[in-house]
Amino acid sequence: MTETSTHTLELRQIRKSFGAVDVIHGVDLAIDEGEFVVFVGPSGCGKSTLLRLIAGLDDPTSGDIMLQGKRVNAVPASERGLSMVFQSYALYPHMSVRQNLSFGLENFRMDRTEIARRVDSAAQLLQIDQLLDRRPGQLSGGQRQRVAIGRAIVREPIVFLFDEPLSNLDAELRLQMRVEISNLHDELGNTMIYVTHDQIEAMTMADRIVVLRDGRIEQVGRPLDLYNNPANRFVAGFIGAPQMNFLEGRIERNRLSLDSGLTRDVQLATRGDGRVTLGIRPEAIGVSLDGAGDMQIKVRNFEQLGSVTYIYGAFENGERLTVQLGEQIPLQRNQTIGVTLPSDRFHLFDGESGQALATGP
Amino acid sequence: MSLAAILMMMLGVLWIGGGSVWLLTRRRYKLVQAPSFLMDLVGFPVEYAQSIWGRGGVPYALLLPNMLIFGLFTFVPMILNFYVSFTGGTSILLFNRPWVGLQQYADIFSCETIFEPRTCSNAGFSFWTGMFNTLWFVVIQVPVLCVVALVTALVVNKNIRGRGFWRAMFFYPVMLSPVVIANIWNWVLHRKGVLNEMIGGTRDQLSTMAGMTGFDIVVTVLLAVVLMVVSERALRSSDTPSLAWTAIFGALLALLFGWANPLSLIGLGGSFWLGGALALGLVLIVSSESRLARIAIIAAGILSAALLISIQFDAVFDFGRYRPVNWLVQPNTGWPFFWLVFVFTWSHMGFYMLILLAGLQAIPSDLYEAARMDATRPARAFWRITLPLIMPTLTVVLVLALIRSFQIFDEVYLLTGGGPGRETFMIVQNIYEVAFTNNNKDYGEGAAGSVLMAVVIAVFTFFQLWITRRQSEL
Amino acid sequence: MLNRLGTFLTRTAGNKDTAERFGMADFLAYGYLLLGVLIVLVPVLWTFFSSIKPERAVDSFDTRLLPIAQVQTEIEGIGTKPEWIHEAGGGGARKVFKAGPTRKETDVAPIDAPGDVFKVPRTQLRPSEEIRVATENYLDPLLKRHGQENFTFGIYLFNSIFVTVMATLITLIINAMAAFALSKYRFRGRLTFTILIVATLLIPSSIILVSLFFVVWSFGIFGSLWGVIIPAAATPTGVFLLRQYMLTIPDELLEAARMDAASEWRIFWRIVMPLSLPALSVLAILSVIWRWNDFLWPLIVLISDPEKHTIQLGLTQYAGEFDTDFHYILAMTVVSLIPITLVFVWLQRFITTGIATTGLK
Repeated sequence: MTETSTHTLELRQIRKSFGAVDVIHGVDLAIDEGEFVVFVGPSGCGKSTLLRLIAGLDDPTSGDIMLQGKRVNAVPASERGLSMVFQSYALYPHMSVRQNLSFGLENFRMDRTEIARRVDSAAQLLQIDQLLDRRPGQLSGGQRQRVAIGRAIVREPIVFLFDEPLSNLDAELRLQMRVEISNLHDELGNTMIYVTHDQIEAMTMADRIVVLRDGRIEQVGRPLDLYNNPANRFVAGFIGAPQMNFLEGRIERNRLSLDSGLTRDVQLATRGDGRVTLGIRPEAIGVSLDGAGDMQIKVRNFEQLGSVTYIYGAFENGERLTVQLGEQIPLQRNQTIGVTLPSDRFHLFDGESGQALATGP
Repeated sequence: MSLAAILMMMLGVLWIGGGSVWLLTRRRYKLVQAPSFLMDLVGFPVEYAQSIWGRGGVPYALLLPNMLIFGLFTFVPMILNFYVSFTGGTSILLFNRPWVGLQQYADIFSCETIFEPRTCSNAGFSFWTGMFNTLWFVVIQVPVLCVVALVTALVVNKNIRGRGFWRAMFFYPVMLSPVVIANIWNWVLHRKGVLNEMIGGTRDQLSTMAGMTGFDIVVTVLLAVVLMVVSERALRSSDTPSLAWTAIFGALLALLFGWANPLSLIGLGGSFWLGGALALGLVLIVSSESRLARIAIIAAGILSAALLISIQFDAVFDFGRYRPVNWLVQPNTGWPFFWLVFVFTWSHMGFYMLILLAGLQAIPSDLYEAARMDATRPARAFWRITLPLIMPTLTVVLVLALIRSFQIFDEVYLLTGGGPGRETFMIVQNIYEVAFTNNNKDYGEGAAGSVLMAVVIAVFTFFQLWITRRQSEL
Repeated sequence: MLNRLGTFLTRTAGNKDTAERFGMADFLAYGYLLLGVLIVLVPVLWTFFSSIKPERAVDSFDTRLLPIAQVQTEIEGIGTKPEWIHEAGGGGARKVFKAGPTRKETDVAPIDAPGDVFKVPRTQLRPSEEIRVATENYLDPLLKRHGQENFTFGIYLFNSIFVTVMATLITLIINAMAAFALSKYRFRGRLTFTILIVATLLIPSSIILVSLFFVVWSFGIFGSLWGVIIPAAATPTGVFLLRQYMLTIPDELLEAARMDAASEWRIFWRIVMPLSLPALSVLAILSVIWRWNDFLWPLIVLISDPEKHTIQLGLTQYAGEFDTDFHYILAMTVVSLIPITLVFVWLQRFITTGIATTGLK
C-alpha cells in the first residue's frame, strides 16, 4: 500500500468499531480540491462518525486517512489543518464573539494584526461585525450559526467540516443558511464536507453526494446522477421527495409483469428471469381523470398545493402509488383514475439484493 | 420536669387521643387498615387543618413541624445568643442571669492590642488566640482544600481505568467519623508510628549508601542523565516547551538548589526556596507561552549543570541518626498545625471533589473538541475553558469550604486538643471550653464569642461572594 | 508502518475508541492516583492490620504488616511463658524459656525439660514467633471481660442506632411535608418560608451552640437522646433536595387523586412520598451519615451520662481513659468504621451521585 495520494482527502478502507459494535465497515472515498461533498444517510448510518474520523476526534480502528497526500492517522486533530462546525455550535459561552473567533488563531501564535484582519474579514463576510462584542448567550440561533461558521473560516483550513449544522434552526432560517453556505463555498472555494440527514440539503448544496447506510457507502455521485441513476433501491428511495414508488413484480423472458397487473416488454442488459422491483418517480407518472391509461388507481388522499398536486392512490392489490402533477386538477376521494407509466422512466432493481438492473440491449 | 416538657406531653395526648377520636368518628377503618390509620394519625393536624380551613390551610399545617423546629432550634437561639451575651453569672435559668450590658465584649476586647493576645485579659487571650489561629487556619486551609479538590476532580474526570473506584476512594474519608479519623492518624503519626518508622528507615538506608565509595560520582552522573532527558523532553515539541516536563525540570532545579546551597557562599540560608521561586518563574514563563521560554529553559539547564558539579552527594545524603518527631505534640515546629491542615484536607476533600466533578461534567464535551480542532494546548484549555466555566461551582465550593473550615473543632479537639500550648487552639474550641467545660461555666462569654465569630464569618462570606461576583461580571 | 506501531503502543489502555494517547498527562494522572492510594487507603488499612496484632506487638510498635506474636507456652508447674529459640554455635536450635531475669548471661531451660537450667548469652536468643490474629482485641471490650467492663459497647451501639434511626425518620417525614407544601401549593407567604429556610442554610450550627444549649435545656431534653435528635431534625438541605424532586411530579397526578376524593394528607403519603423515593433515599443516606458521625453536639448534650453515650463519644472517652491500650482503641475504631464502610461499598455509586447532584452538605 502506498502512502501517497493526489487527492485533497482520501479515505482508504476505513473501519471503526466501538467495542464490539462495528460502525464503519471499510469506506473508500477520495475528495478533490474545492469540492463540496455531502454525507447523507438515515440516523445511525455512521456519517457523523466518519466526519469525526476525518477531523481526528476519533481514531479509525483500521484504514488510512490521507490529507493532501500524507497519511494523517497519527496526526492529532489540531495539526490536521481542518476546521469543524459542530451541530450544537460549541461556542465558548464565556467568551465574546470576537474572542471565540480569535481563540484558535491565538493558539497558533498568530500576529495580532493578522488575527484582527482575519476576524474582521470573516465577520464582514458573515455579517456579524455588529455582534463581535456580544456573548453567545445573547445571540439568536441563526447568529450563533454564523459565529460557528466564522470560527471555522478564520482558520483558513484545508477542509471545512460541517456536522449537521442546520438541524437546530427553524425551517425558514434553515433555507436561508443553506443558500448562504452555498454562496460561501463559491466565494472561498475551499473543500467542504457537510454531514446531514436531510436529502434536500444534500441535493441543493452538494457537488457530490455520498449516501451512507449502516457504515457502508451506498453510492457516490453528483446530485442529479444519484436522482436519475440510483445504484440501488435504498438510494432510489432515500433521494427525492416524495419518495420513489416501488412496485413488486417479476421478469420472464424479457417481459415484466407487475403484481398489480401491468405487463410490459423490457430489455435487460445482463440478467435473466426472477423477481424484480420497479421504481418510478411520482412526477414521471401521467394521469387521466376518465380512467384511460395503463392501469387504474383509487384515490385515497390528495394534496393540492397550487403549483403541484400530490395524489396518494392504491392499486386493486393494495400496492400504493404516489403521483406528482405540475398542474391543478379536480379530484375526489375514492375516485378511480387512470395512470400512465412511461417505460423510459423505469428503474428496475433486483428483487433480493436491491441492486439496480441496467436496461437496454 | 420543666414547663416545656409538660407542654409537650399535653400536645402529645391531644394529638394521639384527640386525633384517634376525631378520625374514628369520621372514617371507618377495618382492622387490616391499621397501618393506614396510624399514618392518618401522624398527619392528623394536616387532616384537621383541611377540615377547618379547606385546602388553603393545608400547606401551613404541612410546614408547621419543620418550621417549628427551625424556629425553636435555629432562629430563637440566633436571637437568644445576643441576649445571653449581654448577661453574666453561671446560672442556666435565663431570668436568673444578671444583665451586664457590654461587659462580656469589653472583657474580650480588654487588650493593649488584640493582635498580641498575650496583652489581653484571660477571656481576651483565649478568644483572640483562637480567632487568629482560626483565621490563619482558614487562610491556609481553604486554598489548599480547593486546589487539591480541583486537581483530584480533574484527574478523576479523565478517561482513566476504574474511574468509579477512584472516585469512591477519594470520597471514602468523608464517610468516616471524626473520632475514627483522629484515631487512625494518631496511630500513624505517633512518635513510634509508621510514618516515623518509614522516614527513619529510608534515611538510614540512604546514609548507608552514601557511605560507600564512588557514591558521589554515581549520583552526579545519574542526575545529569535525568536532567538531560527531562530538559530534552521539555524542549522537544516544535513550537512551545511542554509544561508538564518543565514542571518536573523545575522541581529538580529546586532540589539542586537546596542541596548545592549557593546562598551559603554569601552567608544566607533558604537556597531551596530561591530555587523553588526560580522553578515557579520558569513554569510561569512556559505557561504564558512567551517567546523567551526556550531560552529560559536552556539557561536553567546550564545553571543546573553548574550546581550539580558543585554538590558533594555523600555529604548531602549522610543524615546521621534520625530522631523521631512527635508530629502532633512537638511545640514550635509547625508540625501539629501542618498535620491539622493535612488531616482536614484528607477528610473533607472528597466532598468538594464531588461537587467540582459535577461541575466539570456539566461542561459540554464538544467545547473541548472544538478546542482540540483549534489546536488548543491542554494547559491553555484548562485556563481558558475549564476554569472560567467551573468558576460558579468553585465559588460554591469556596464558600462552603470557608464556612466549614471556620467551624473546625472535631479534628483539632481529638488530634491535638488545641495543643501543643495553644498552637492549634481554634475559636469553636474556645467557645466550647468557656461555656461547657470550665468550672465556672461562662455562658455569657461563650455567647459573646459566638456573636463575634458570626460577624467574622458573615464578613468573610460576603467579601468572598463580592469578589467572585465582580470577577464574573468582568 | 513504524508510526502505526507507535500509535498502537501508546493508545490509552481500555479506550481505543478515543484518539487520546498515553501522554505525559496520563502519566501524571496515574502518579497522582498512586499517591492517593498511599495517602487515603494505606492509613485505614494500616489501622486495620494493626488492630489484629497482639498487645505486645502494638505496644512495641512492631511495623511488620502481619500480626506476629511470640509463642506463649504452658509449662507444667511454672505457668505460661514466652518461648525463645536458642541457637547454639554448632547449628541446631532449641526451644527454651527464660528461667530467670534477662542478663548478659541468661538462665534458660528447654521447653521439654523445664528442670534443665543452663546459662546462655542473651545474643543467642531470639523470640519464637507465630502469626496469630489477636481476636481478643475485639472480643475483650465487646464481651466486657479482662478489665474492659467499663466499655459498654452494646449501650453505645444502641444509643447510636436509636439516634440515627429516629432522627432520620423524623427528618424524612417533616422535610418531605415542608417540601410538599413548598412545591405543590400556591399560598401566601410561600416566598417568605423559602427565604427563611435558605437563611437557616447560612447559619452555621457552631455559632448558636451556647443559646441552643439554653433552648434544649429549657425543653427538658438536655442530657437525653432526644436532645440530640430533635434540634437537627429539620434540615434545609433535605427540604431543598426533596422540593426540587417533587417539582418534577406532575400536578395532574395530585388532581386525579383529588378527583378520587383523597384528602391532602393521603395524597402526600400515598402518592407524593412513594414517587419521591429516589430523593428520599438520598436524604436518608445523608442523614444516617450526619447522625452517625455527629460529635460536637452529642459531646455537649450527652457527655455527663455514660449511659447515654453514642459510639463516637464512647470511643473518645475510651481513648482518653485507657491511653495505653492502643490495641483496644484500634480494634474499636475498626468496629465503628465497619458499618459505615459496608454501607458505602454497597451504595457508593448512589451516594456519590446523590451528593454531586444536590451539591450540599
